This record gives sequence, structure tokens and C-alpha cells, in this order.
Amino acid sequence: MCARHQHNGNILLDCFQGVQAEERLYWRSFLVKIGTDNLNGAHNEELFVASHKFVYVIYTTIGYEFVFVVSKDEYDELALTKVLYMIISSIKDVCKKAPIERAFLEKYGKVCLCLDEIVFQETLEHTKKIAFDN
Amino acid sequence: MASQESGSTTLMDLITSDPASLPANSALPALGKGTPDPSKASRKPGSLQAAGSAAESLSPARLISPVKTSLGPLAKKKKPVSYSQLARSLHELAAAADQKSSSTQLVHQIFPKLAVYNSVDPSLAPSLLMLHQQSEDRQVLRYVYYYLARILSDSGGQGVTPGGGISTPNWDALADLNASGGVTRADVVPRIIEQLSKEAANVDVEAHAKRIAALKALTYAPTSNDEVLNRLYEIVFGILDKVADAGKVKRKKGMFGRQTVDKESAVRSNLQYAALSTLRRLPLDPGNPAFLHRAVQGIACADPIGVRHALAVVSELATRDPYAVAMAVAKISLSGGALQEVLQLHDVLARVYLARLCFILSRARVLDERPDIRSQYQTILYQLLLDPSERVCFEAIMCILGKFDNNERLEERAGGWAMLTTAILKFPDAPTTITSSAQQAQDGSALPPKAPKERPASRPRRPQALIKLVMRRLESAFRSPIRPVLHAAARVVQEMGKSRAAAYSLRGYAVDEDSHPETVVDSGGVPANASDLASSELEQAETEAPRNKVASFPSTSGGKETISSMLSSLKEAVRTTVACECVYVRGAVIKALIWLQSPYESFDELKSIIAGELSDPSWPASLLNEIILILHARFKATPDMAVILLEIATLFATKVPGKIDSDVLQLLWKTCLLGCGPSGKHTALEAVTVVLDLPPPEPASMPTYHFNKRVSAADPKSALALQKLVQAAVWFLGENANYAASEYAWESVTPPGTALMMLDVDKMVAAASSRNPTLAGALTRLERCAFGGSWEVRLVAAQALITIAIRSGEPYRMQVYELLQALAQGGSSKSMLDMASNGEDQGATGTGLSSILSPMIRLLDEMYRAQDELVRDMRNHDNKKQEWSDDELRKLYETHERLLDLVSLFCYVPRAKYLPLGPTSATLINIYRNRHRIDAASGLNDPAVAMGISDLLNSQLQYPPVHIEKNEPLVVGLSDGLWTGSAPAIDLVNEFLVGAGTDAPEVEEENVLPRTSISYDDMWAKQLLEASETEDAEVQSSGSSSPESVASYSTTTSSHFGGMGYPSLFGGSGASRFSPWEKQLSSHPTSRVSNLSMDSSSDQLPEFLATSRMGAQKQSSSFMGRMDSFGNLPDDVLGRADDDEEPQETPQFGKALYDFTAGGDEELNLTAGEELEIEYEVDGWFHVRKKKPGRDGKIAGLVPILYVTS
Repeated sequence: MCARHQHNGNILLDCFQGVQAEERLYWRSFLVKIGTDNLNGAHNEELFVASHKFVYVIYTTIGYEFVFVVSKDEYDELALTKVLYMIISSIKDVCKKAPIERAFLEKYGKVCLCLDEIVFQETLEHTKKIAFDN
Repeated sequence: MASQESGSTTLMDLITSDPASLPANSALPALGKGTPDPSKASRKPGSLQAAGSAAESLSPARLISPVKTSLGPLAKKKKPVSYSQLARSLHELAAAADQKSSSTQLVHQIFPKLAVYNSVDPSLAPSLLMLHQQSEDRQVLRYVYYYLARILSDSGGQGVTPGGGISTPNWDALADLNASGGVTRADVVPRIIEQLSKEAANVDVEAHAKRIAALKALTYAPTSNDEVLNRLYEIVFGILDKVADAGKVKRKKGMFGRQTVDKESAVRSNLQYAALSTLRRLPLDPGNPAFLHRAVQGIACADPIGVRHALAVVSELATRDPYAVAMAVAKISLSGGALQEVLQLHDVLARVYLARLCFILSRARVLDERPDIRSQYQTILYQLLLDPSERVCFEAIMCILGKFDNNERLEERAGGWAMLTTAILKFPDAPTTITSSAQQAQDGSALPPKAPKERPASRPRRPQALIKLVMRRLESAFRSPIRPVLHAAARVVQEMGKSRAAAYSLRGYAVDEDSHPETVVDSGGVPANASDLASSELEQAETEAPRNKVASFPSTSGGKETISSMLSSLKEAVRTTVACECVYVRGAVIKALIWLQSPYESFDELKSIIAGELSDPSWPASLLNEIILILHARFKATPDMAVILLEIATLFATKVPGKIDSDVLQLLWKTCLLGCGPSGKHTALEAVTVVLDLPPPEPASMPTYHFNKRVSAADPKSALALQKLVQAAVWFLGENANYAASEYAWESVTPPGTALMMLDVDKMVAAASSRNPTLAGALTRLERCAFGGSWEVRLVAAQALITIAIRSGEPYRMQVYELLQALAQGGSSKSMLDMASNGEDQGATGTGLSSILSPMIRLLDEMYRAQDELVRDMRNHDNKKQEWSDDELRKLYETHERLLDLVSLFCYVPRAKYLPLGPTSATLINIYRNRHRIDAASGLNDPAVAMGISDLLNSQLQYPPVHIEKNEPLVVGLSDGLWTGSAPAIDLVNEFLVGAGTDAPEVEEENVLPRTSISYDDMWAKQLLEASETEDAEVQSSGSSSPESVASYSTTTSSHFGGMGYPSLFGGSGASRFSPWEKQLSSHPTSRVSNLSMDSSSDQLPEFLATSRMGAQKQSSSFMGRMDSFGNLPDDVLGRADDDEEPQETPQFGKALYDFTAGGDEELNLTAGEELEIEYEVDGWFHVRKKKPGRDGKIAGLVPILYVTS
């Protein structure tokens, strides 16, 4: 499972779980590619799907950032859609405003903690909104 | 997202529920405020001012956007807050007396920045542990647990941690700390585990939030350690025992119908949730009744996520021990039981696991005697089809279809299709009033309650055919505008097609698709149900669930419909989805259509859809290759589809040759050829040859005849790919024409009719083609390629022709012989050349192939000569009425083996059966074999034979006088190797078929963006390097114009080509393939068929090795046309060649005599007078190493022996 944010091609945050180190390189370039191919000019939170063999990728854009979630098996397109929404809404909560890069970076630690809550050791933990108080 | 019931709080809430609240955010310096001044910061690197203010700290942006920094020392200078600074600050703050201010610092300065580094090194653990003990600040504690978990999970290698953040250049510093710092992971991990497990075992209710957090962090500990594992089990079961003993959490109905729980219950359910969550991450313990018991108890957990984990564990256990699980779950699966409640639980994944569990149990063989239990689970599974969430519904469909993991058996899939098409979801006659919260009130009727979405007022439902439910659901999903839904629906249809194909292929599962599914549903009943679904209030989160479910289909309103009519309307819905702009959705749709295609229907529509899609350049290569893999899978499921699939594959080959993996495509050709049966073979071969008729890419920009630039100027990649594909097709044709035509030299017992041999060539060809049109057709195609293709294609065509010549009997061999002669002479076929030429320069020697053709012609010459001699000898013996003496037989046999070795150089032949001396030699050969107990397969290579021991053995091995089996085609011999081999294409297909292909996709090279993020330079370095290498090769090859350098270009490509697994004998530098280095090259796992020939040729007796080497040497010398002096090699070369097996220990030095221009990748340019170290010798070539690299940068390579004094 992997979740990642990216801004202008800079990876703000990516978190791979259960992905071999050598595979990550490929996934990174794959995500960069599909992101730049499709997400420029896309609507906010418009869902995109991609797949590779038995792995699914759901991605979208918020503001100028791209968000990707990748997984397989029971976390298929539809489950990942939920995860993605979950991640986005948590980030919005944490950032308390549009998750532009600045806000995102200011709350970097919190975002990490919150991702850790959502995706816990390759399994989805919370699909509901987690209350974050600052 | 729907809000959770108030009773269960999240882990987060628990931790943050501490009354002591943090100072407001505004009181703190904002991290990014005031653009940090890098120069200012860099003035005090390594500053110990841990309590530094915002000015000191740098925005994490600087840390984590590597673009802005540049790698190397410069970047390090500019980095004001380094990892080591942060680490030092952490140490100091942890030890600080003023807890309040230090925790503020930690939370806002130190911890968030550390997060950027993805993980922390073990040396921070003592400070973290200290904070863990002392700090009361919940924010600090959250970070502490987070980092402790990071340390626990860190498996040592950098970047392997699953945490957030990205690795930056600072990782070097971190890695150094890791290595040289006094604290190692091994030191701290036991301490962390000790401290956390102590906390996790704390039964104090007040500390339960910390307890849960500690447990969560603990699960990151490596579970490979038994001690840790036992400890975790102990804690988890301790909690679960306690919770379970206290009884189920009672949910009380509070005000406004909301559920409330008392505090004690809440604590208990939280603990249970945490324990179940941990349990899920621990290894399964299938034999342990306590494990199962607690997991099953967890299904009744008050926390939905706890239920989810419990169900996941139980369904996992059910695959191991379905009986025990079924018995344990049976109690709660009855109506009113906890399992039924899950149907209404609003955790989607919990219902998904419920579907899996019910599927496993309803299909378990061990429950055959308990049909009641099985049907219970089945009913639950069917009810899940009505689930408002698409995710759950699709999972239920997949389960019913028999798709569970990718290793399901064919019968399960077939049974799944039968079930889907015939089963009926029955509802109880008298609907009972159920409210969403009071299921306990259920009466214990035999049938489980109907779908939970039932509202009190709804009228009784009529039984519904599953297939109708499913079709309606899918069709409405296909109307959804949301891409993931479309993709998922297409995937479900794929699985339907798969199960349907399985049902067709197995006896006893056939479903009559013209039958009407047993149903009494009238059109009125459908919307009632659908509106129930749509109006479900339970799953507010399912906002994407289509609202238009109520709309009925025009096609369904006509009353009864057959399965096939439903399928075709589904197909229509799938087809319209091709209009989706997302290429991955379209990919899924095409896969679904391929699976829905049946061998007996017209596939024109599918073909036109695919053809249209392939014209779209936006298709990524990985997706296209996946579809080819689907073609493989489709073929495997229904071999009758071979011809259809081949035609589709041809579309890929013709439209997107540059994007597909020609290995996988070839494998498809091969499997289809094998699978389409005797009648389809001709068609199958024809489908392949279509590729040969492809026009070269960009014909408009084709250079004129004398224009020496290559086609690649227009679109180098696709031109090269097309050429590769054509080469592959030619090779395939040569390799398989004999199989397709069922023409094998060793299957004809009689010598060719002399009358036939007397005919002139034209008549012979005519006679041959009337006898075997398939082979004749293949020969004609190859002939055209050999004369008209590009150099590379001609090369492969010549090899293909010799393969056919060797494997076929007369008159085909003679026909090829004539053809090769004509090719070698070049000029004689001018007319054909003009006709078929693609305008390319044909090279100085006409066809440019003479050097390759001459060994082939020589081989055929030798075979014919030996056959003539045999005929003469036999006649002599007959005339004199003389028995063959053992000596004469030995001589004959040796000739036989020698020719066999030579033949094996060119292509694979079954050594036991192949008779290079013609069918008449069989009797004599077998006499000799029997007399000396020579195993036909190993021949003289058998050590027992070589040592003369076999003569002494009283072996039972006897060959019949004529040892020919008619019914065993060559391919049988090949296919063993084909499927057990480790060629990447085969691996790819096999992996795909078993669903193991989860590796990362490869992004096409030209699409890799110029990476701005330099922090990954080490990872990209390899790719860049490779890319530049290929560039070099291209530059080197395209910048030259002499025929020789054209050849060198070709050599380069053909050595790539050889790497792909073709028996390109003359690929690479043109040296023989007996050299150790070449062996290494060609034992590359890609070689499939050539592997076999390698095997048979590489383990030969020394004497034969010598002779075959001689032959090989001759070939190589003749290949290197410019080195005529090769013929006069010193006699000791052979002897030296024999020593090649042992690498020479002492270095030998030499000096270049003349300038030498490298003709291939492996060769080395020489300048006269250069000092060289000779590393080893290979068939007339030295592998030498220069003292320093030459102008081309190469330092070692092959040079002809004669150019070097040794």
C-alpha cells in the first residue's frame, strides 16, 4: 500500500508499506507519469483510476497537489476511493485551509501522524474522519 | 464519511482526550513564517541552540523539496537544520527540566521536522523512551509512539521503513549515524519492547488510552522474533479474555435513537478493538482454538473496525480450517447472531470480509454433511448482493463467481457461473419488522432475515434470480460517471467471463443460456427492490452509489429474458464504456470484452473496438502488454479461441509493434499454434505471417533506394520494434513451420522417391506444395524475407530456412538447398530483389548473407555427401553380400554423431531420432548402438560409452531395428522445455495466470520525465546509465555509411536480438558459441528453444567438441569475411581451444600488430603497437585487456588472434 503527495513533481510525502525498496523506484516514476499525463487541468478531487496487473491506483488532485493511493487485493478501486477521500479530508482538517504546499509543510508532522492512523501496517485502519485537534 | 456512533472513539480521540490542552497554535512561531534565510542558517551549522526560534529553523520545504537544494556538498552547506541537529535537540529537550516549554518545542519544531526523514535512527530511542515515561503531553506522546514504532519496524536498510516522509540526502548522515553511532537497533529494540509491553499490559483503566497506543506501536516489532511474538500474544489474549469475560457490550438505546454506551463498556470495546487490530497483524495460529475463539468473539465487538479485523482474521483462518471455523461461527450466523448484524454494520470492509468468510464456508468441502450450515452462509452471501455499497456487492459477485484469490480451481469457477445463473435469492414469506438497531428482536425462524435494508413498511419480496440482480447492478454501475466504479465493474465482468469460460470448458457445468432464469419477478418487483436500495439511509458514505437505480431498462421491461439476452445487454453496456476517456478504464473494458467473447460468436465488433483503441497513442505499453497477457489467459481457458485470439494479437503486432513485448507475443503465437489443433495449424501460422507483410513504418518518409539513411530516421523506436517483431515472426516461422505442417525428416521411413529427386526444381516445388501447402507457404514467405527484408531480417530468414531444411524431409530440404545456393550467389535473383525490396541498400554482396550462408550450405553438402556415401557403401555391401564390420559401423556412427552435432548447432533436433544420414541409416545405426549399448539420447557423450564401460554392462537397452515413433511431434520435445524454462515471457505469463504480477510497472523510457528531484539520483543513475548506453550504440551505428559499419549496426541489434532468445548463431561478434563467454551469454534464461540446442551441443565429448569446434571455427572464419588468413590458422589453435575450459591463471601479454576496427559490441578497437594483456582465447579470438581505455572508452574485448603477438 502506498500513499503519496506530490507537488510540481516534488514529492512531498510518500509512504510505502509492503513494497520492496527496488520496486519503489518504478512506482514513483509510474505515479509521476500518470499524474502529469492526466492530472493537469483536472478538477479538484476528480477521481482517476489506473491499474497495473493486480494493483490499483486511485489518484486525484487537490489544489496544486496530486494525491495517489496504490494497493491491491481487498483494497481495490472502490476501497481506495474511500481511503483517498479519507486522506484528503484528514489533510484538509489538519491544514485547516486549502492544502497548499505551504500549509501542508507547516503541518508535515501531523500529516504523517494522520496517515499513520489511516494506513496502519499495510491495512486500512480508519475510514471515518479522525478528529484532529491542534 | 458517515460519522461514527459516539460509543466508539478512535485511537486518536483516546490519546487526545487528555484534559490538559495544548497552548494555542498562535502562541507558537509558525514554521514557515518569514522566509528562512539559508545563508543565515548556514552560518552556524551544527549549532547547538536547540531552543532555537523560528528564524533558526528552516521550512521543511527546504528539507523535503530536493529540487531547491542541489546535491553534493553545496546542498549540505545550505541545510540549516540537519538531522544531527534535530537529534541533538531532541536529546536535550528530553532531558530538559522545563517540561512544558520543551514539549512545545518538540511538538512544533523537532518532531515534525524529524518526520521528513522518514525514520529515526536508534540513537534517539533512549530520549524517546525517556519522553515516553515522563511526558504527559498527548501531542508529544503521539509523536513518541510514532517514532518508537518507526524504530521497531525499521528493518535496517534506509528507505525501507513504511513511515511517512521521504528520504533526502540527509539520509547519508542518518545512515552514518546508524553505522558508527554507539547505539544500534539491537541495543534499543529490546528496551523499547520491554517498556511498551509493560505499558500495554497495564490494566489500569485510566491508562487505557496509552495502553492502546503502546500496543499499536508494539505491533511494528519484528514478529520473526519468537519472544516478542509470545509477548504480544500474551498481551492480546490477556485483553481479549478480560473483555470477553465481562460480557458483550450492551448497547442501550439513548435519546433520539442514538446508541450510547457507558464509559466502562467504551473502554472495553476500545481495548477489544486494539487487541483485535493487533491480532490481525500477528501471524495466524490455525491450530489454536483460543485464537479462533477470540477472533470469532471479536465479530461481536462494538467497534466496527474491531469487527472488521475479527472478520478478516476469521476469514483467513477459514481458508486453513473451514470446519473448525464453520462450527465456531455457526452459533452467531443464525438470525439475530452477530454475523447477521455485520450485514448492517456500516464498515464496508467488514462486509467485504463477511462476504469472503461466507464464500469460503459455503463452498467448503468438509461441510458436505452439513448442508444446513452451508446454505446459511450462502444466504448471507446472496444478501450481500443487495448491499448499497458497490464494493461489497462486487465482492459478493466475485465470491459467487468463485473468484477468491487467483489460485482458484477451474471447477470452482465453473460452479460459480452455474450458481450465478441458476440460484435464486429467497426472502421469507412473512416479513418481520426490523429496525436498524433492534435485530435482537428477531424471531428465530429457519431462514435468516432478509436484507437489512428492509424498511418496516416494505412489502414481502419475491424471490429473485441472482443473475438478474447482478446484471442490473452492473448495468447501473456502467452508467456511473465515476471512473473507479467503471473500472471495478469492468473487472467484475471480466471475472464473469472467466467463470463462464470455465463452465464451458468443463463437462457438467454447461448452462443453457437460452433458458429463462427461474424467477417470478415481474417488472414491478424490480424497482421496489431497487428503490429500497437507493433509499437506504445506512450508508451515507456511499455518495457515489448511483441514484438512478430505479430506472428500469427498456430491455428488461419485456418480461422474461434469457441469460444470453441479459449477457448481450450487459455487453452493450460494457461496450459503451469504451467511450470513457480514462485509458485504464478502457483497458479494463477491453479485457472484459475479451473474456465475454465466446468462440462461436462473431468477433468483428471486438476487433474493430480493439483496432480503434490501438490507434490511440495514449495507451501505455504496460497496459497493452497486460491485454496480451489476458489473451494468453483467455486462450488457456478456451483453446478453441486460438484463431480469434491470434487475429487480435495480430492487431497488436501491426498497430503497436513498438509497445508490446515481442517475447510475450511470440509465446502467444506458440501456445495458440500448439493449442489450435491439427485443423487450425495452418490458419495459426498464417496469422503469424501477416506480420511479415507489414509495411515498414512511415512508408511516406521512406528514403529512396540509394539514400543510405535507415528507416529509423523517421521513428527509430517503432521502426526498430517492428523490425524486431518481424525478426521474431521469421524466427517463429522457421522454428514452427515443421510442426504446423507436420513434416519431419525423421518421420518418413522411406528415402525420398528417386523419381521426385529427378525432377527439376520448378516441378519439385510444385509437387512439394501440393503435398504440403502449409510448409510450402512458409517456405515461400521465408524466401521472400530472405531476399527482400532488411539485413537483420534476411539473417534470421536464412537461419529459419536452414532450420526447416534440417527438420524437413525431401523434397523440402532440396528446395531450401537450392534457395540457399541462390541466396549465396546473390545476383541470380535480381528480379525477386527488385520486387520485394523495401528500398534499402542491399549491401555489397548482394544479399549480404554469403558469410552466413556458406556454413549452412556446407552442412547440407556434408549431409548429402554422407548420404551418398552411405548409399554407395550399402550397395557395395549388398553386392558383396557382406555384413557390416564393427569398424565400418563405428565409422558410420561417428559420422552420424558428427553430423548430428553440426546440425544441433543450427537448430534443435531430437538427437535420439534424427538421422542426418537419411532414414536408411536407421538400421545400421541401431545395430551399432545396441551392440555398444549407446543411449540414443546422449550418444557418445555418455561417459559410460566414452570409457568403454557400457560394452561391459549387461544392459537391457535395445533399440528396435528401425527406431522411429511416428506420433511424437517435435513440439512435444520442445514443449517440455518451453513450459519449464525460465524465459521471462513464460514467467510473465505464468505469474500473470496465477495472479502474482504485482510488481511495479515499468514506465516507458521515453516517457520518464526529466527528473527534477535530484535526491533520487542514486536510484536514477542506473537508468540514466543504461539509457546513455543504448544511445551510444545507436550513435555508433547510425553515424556510419560503409557496408561494414552497416554490418556492425546489424551486429549490435542482432546481439540484442540474440539476447531475446533467438538462436542467433552469428549474433554478437561472430565467434562460435562454444566459447565460455558466449555460453554465458546464450545461457541467458531467455533462450527457450535455443536452450535445448545449447544443452545438446554443449556437453559433448572432447573429440567431438574438437571437431565441432573446427566446424564452428570455419563458420566464424568465413563469417569474418575480411580475414581470409583465418584458414591458415596454426595447428595448435585447436589444442588451445580445448584448454578454454580452464581459465588461464597466468596473465599473458601481447602487442597489437595492426590496427583493428571493432565490428561488434564485444570487439575491441586496436591500434598497432598497443600493449595488451591476453585474458583468454576463444576460437581464433583473444579476449584482451588494454592498459588504459582506448578512445572509444573500451578497455577490454575481443580481437583476432592474428592481430596480436603473444
